Amino acid sequence: MNLLPDTYHIQQTFSTYCRTGEKVKLPGVAPHRLKHYRQLVFNMIRDTMEHAFPIAFKHIPTTRWNKMVKEFFSRHACQSYQVWKLPLEFYTYAVEHNWEDTYDIPFLNDLLAFEWAEMEVYNMEDIPAPAHSLSGNWLDTPLVLNPEHRLLSFNYPVHLVAKPKELLKNKGVYFVLLFRHPETGHVEFTDLSPWLAFLTEQLTLGITVKDILEYAPQLNITDTGTLERDTLAFLKHMQQLHFVLGFRQ
Amino acid sequence: MVGIGFRREFAEEMISGEHIRPDFIEFAPENWMNIGGYWKKVLHRVVEKYPVLCHGLSLSIGSPEALDKSFLQYIKKFLREYNVQIYSEHLSYSKCDNAHMYDLLPIPFRMDAVRHIASRIQQVQDYLQRPLVMEIVSYYTPVAAEMSEVDFINEVVKQSGCQLLLDVNNIYVNAFNHQYDAKAFIQQLPLSKVAYIHMAGHEQVAPDLIIDTHGEPIIDPVYDLFEWTIQHLQPVPVLLERDFNIPEMAELQGELTRLKNICHKQWKRKDELVA
Repeated sequence: MNLLPDTYHIQQTFSTYCRTGEKVKLPGVAPHRLKHYRQLVFNMIRDTMEHAFPIAFKHIPTTRWNKMVKEFFSRHACQSYQVWKLPLEFYTYAVEHNWEDTYDIPFLNDLLAFEWAEMEVYNMEDIPAPAHSLSGNWLDTPLVLNPEHRLLSFNYPVHLVAKPKELLKNKGVYFVLLFRHPETGHVEFTDLSPWLAFLTEQLTLGITVKDILEYAPQLNITDTGTLERDTLAFLKHMQQLHFVLGFRQ
Repeated sequence: MVGIGFRREFAEEMISGEHIRPDFIEFAPENWMNIGGYWKKVLHRVVEKYPVLCHGLSLSIGSPEALDKSFLQYIKKFLREYNVQIYSEHLSYSKCDNAHMYDLLPIPFRMDAVRHIASRIQQVQDYLQRPLVMEIVSYYTPVAAEMSEVDFINEVVKQSGCQLLLDVNNIYVNAFNHQYDAKAFIQQLPLSKVAYIHMAGHEQVAPDLIIDTHGEPIIDPVYDLFEWTIQHLQPVPVLLERDFNIPEMAELQGELTRLKNICHKQWKRKDELVA
């Protein structure tokens, strides 16, 4: 490397200041000019997070939100060279540093995960679907699902409710399916029962509906006689929404 | 050729070409790499309609640490996929201590930094098999400088063999902020190496400070500096950057037309002289 240690150190000091905002002394630098760099850099990070997590931003008190963003940017080395992927690092940092407890927001991980998933599915690279036909046997032919999807589980219904008080009152087990409409590119999401979440997960593995239904008793699901009918009705509805694409050829 | 920075805010207007019709578009690969769905379809529609130039954000040529090889792999693939004619980047750094900063930080004007950057530019050029076009960035304070800005730039160009992106607004902003003569500065640059020009608006935030926002129309003194500058250059592509406060398309088209008229006036005259 051609860079001398002194120049290296100066560049590090400058960038550390931009990340933390903590005062530094740099030769030849006017402090009143330096502050603009901190503002420009931090505004970009703050705006990115507000844009990525609009519900969290709206419902978390401003002082706490600002503290989170400042902590994240000053202590975390941002890895993505694409700024739109930075919210994933923010979410990961929140989980790793147990922010649910630190900031006393029990639904924080769920909310950040949901908002990130919506952005991720919207932007994710195109994934070609396996060859399929539009007609087939719903029970015996493996179904082809839209591969551009995420299946998530939550402790709080962040996909249904935004207000913190309502979220806290409704702690439980929730599943949500997010997928990208193949033509419009819009992200659709659907609340799923535990059974339908299990069904979706198994279908992605190529297991037939018939085999999944046979497994239902082992999940302590009591078949009242409508399970098959309700399951198929759900899948046909999901076909209309372009999540079930067809039948494997 | 006068183009415009392609932005999602006015993607449909660009594709329809009804109210705005640039000669080419420019975008940052980082904003479009690994993207699918709706915006990938939009990107394909727009690149079918216009020639593409790319202006990178994350190469961070001035970083103290090693180049990001996997990033360069993506860039190479992307430039090939979209038949990108020019790939430009910034003479600054945006990553340090393995952390991206997402903004352009000023490099100390020092000879060791020149050697470091020139070596990195050569590595990138060798890998991409194309010249890098480096933009002279706006900056708000020098940092531990041991040489002048213009000497720094000249040395980087000389040692690396790169080309230059002359952002005329940046030169205006820097001349104002650091109290030097913009024309004298430009005259000292290796002008035969200029391969691309950027034009943009800015915002004066204090009596002695302008911030390069790309959020306002180009002001008359910058147009004047542009007209003076291009008389000293061979014809190159000229780009209008507008990243914030997006106005009606008619206003942007007005700026494109004004730039085009200036180019036509000055460069046509030059052609006639040569003929």
